[in-house]
Amino acid sequence: MPDAILQVRNVVKRFGGIIAVNNISFDVREGEIMGLIGPNGAGKTTLFNCITGIYTPEEGKVYFMGEDITGLPPHKIALKGIARTWQKTRPFKKMTVLEAVTVGALLRTSNVDKAMRKAEEVLKFIGFPEEKINALGKDITLMDHKMVDLARAIATEPKLLLLDEVAAGLRPHEMDRLAEVLRKINSEKGITMIVVEHVMRFVMGLSERIVVMHEGQKIAEGRPEEIANNPKVIEAYLGTKPV
Amino acid sequence: MMGAEFKKYFITLAVLTVVLALVPFALGFNQYYILLAATSLIFAVFVVAWNIIGGYAGQLDLAPIAYVGIGGIVAAQLLKYYGITPWVGMFIGAGASMLLAAAIGYPTFRFGIKEVWYALLTASLVVILNNIAHLPQFLGSLDHYLPAKTGWYYLIFTDYQNLYYVILAVLVATIAINLKISNSKTGYYLRAIREDELAAEALGIDVRKYKLKALMTYAGIMGFTGYLYIVLQGTYSYHTFDSPTSLTIAIMGIIGGLGSVAGAFTSAIFLKTVEEYLRSTIGAMIPGLYLLIYGILLIVVGIFKPEGIAALFNWVKKKIGFDRRGA
Repeated sequence: MPDAILQVRNVVKRFGGIIAVNNISFDVREGEIMGLIGPNGAGKTTLFNCITGIYTPEEGKVYFMGEDITGLPPHKIALKGIARTWQKTRPFKKMTVLEAVTVGALLRTSNVDKAMRKAEEVLKFIGFPEEKINALGKDITLMDHKMVDLARAIATEPKLLLLDEVAAGLRPHEMDRLAEVLRKINSEKGITMIVVEHVMRFVMGLSERIVVMHEGQKIAEGRPEEIANNPKVIEAYLGTKPV
Repeated sequence: MMGAEFKKYFITLAVLTVVLALVPFALGFNQYYILLAATSLIFAVFVVAWNIIGGYAGQLDLAPIAYVGIGGIVAAQLLKYYGITPWVGMFIGAGASMLLAAAIGYPTFRFGIKEVWYALLTASLVVILNNIAHLPQFLGSLDHYLPAKTGWYYLIFTDYQNLYYVILAVLVATIAINLKISNSKTGYYLRAIREDELAAEALGIDVRKYKLKALMTYAGIMGFTGYLYIVLQGTYSYHTFDSPTSLTIAIMGIIGGLGSVAGAFTSAIFLKTVEEYLRSTIGAMIPGLYLLIYGILLIVVGIFKPEGIAALFNWVKKKIGFDRRGA
């Protein structure tokens, strides 16, 4: 399939006796926003870690733009063009917002001045409040942290962006703002995205296609409205209907 | 923007050099005081160099004296047995320290040893080297003396002021290297590693490579300066690998404020001067008093100002409206 930017093939990851990711396969098409949902403990974050090189899957392969990237270290995968954000934000607390984003931009240049200008540009693009770009990481709000995390990732100029529960902990109006920013990144920068999410409203409105995981396995794949009416998905989220 | 920054650093460094160059005059060329000043200055070199691994990269390295000792002893032995001038020997010593750093750092960072485990590992390195050097095949239990010759060829002088100026030159170079790293890609990457290794790696940073680079740069400066340290001490032996001295350097770095060149410099000069003063006044009555003071200072800094002396500078900067950080 030539238009698949990422191909996940039969990936298995175990922790002791627990199979966290069990034989997962799917494709991500270039330019789309794909949703990846599932109840707590479904293995979504583990799968992310297998794709970004934090874990090496025990079985299966991950191909990025046709190239086998299974088992490469995280920094090499970032260099190939996969960036990510974190479920629990991982801020650089003693660096300013601008410096933190500059770190991301330095992946594609060694010139600090150029990287800093690039960082300013990215922060502006995602609409980060200008008066806060010189604030230290420890002094900003959760929403700001999410935006910085996102800016840092975009500054590495990825082709594929993996978002791990970006909407978690945000208020509804902040979520709407974030969804708008993500759509803008997708359409204007042409960055393909995988959005892992708990908040159904957020992911349903954002994605064209959704993969559902449950207990390490893929139980459904399709358009948001198909997913919402899929009995297997409803069962996974709400349990079986009492007889 | 960066241009103005560099200009500011350059002027600060130039002023600092001139002020420090005038110190022997201010001390009226009293040899004892100049020896003390030179000792403070060499510790400033150590602490500023330590800032690269301890401050920027955030690795609590407790082995500075291991690298000082290896570099210094290599240069001293080369002079003593082969008549090689320390002008060459110091570079070879630096190379030897960097090799040791690579041998320690590669497996350490490869297997992700960090925090307390890294601290323990590096602290034990000093003890191990002390014991190895004690073996009869190496330095044995005797004190070794540098050749009884003087002059620029040997970097051994009848007066201390020449040595003082040599150390000053090394200090200025060390500060310049620090500032250069701090404002470069490497500096940004090291700070990111200090803040969050996993996040840094996901941004494409080869964490192991950059940690090793920081460790080898620091070890190289330590090893280079080692010979001057031995000249100041007068002799070298297995005692050169002294654990308390090694810890002192790291403690000075922490009190100064991790990642701050100005803090590291001020902390080293101030604490070393106080230490020598106490040693010369009430040292006979209460030996080791300075260690108690370091302990107390460390606790005070830990509780009230984890950013160390550097935080004081930032506070003053803010007061006089110099701080461009705002926030």
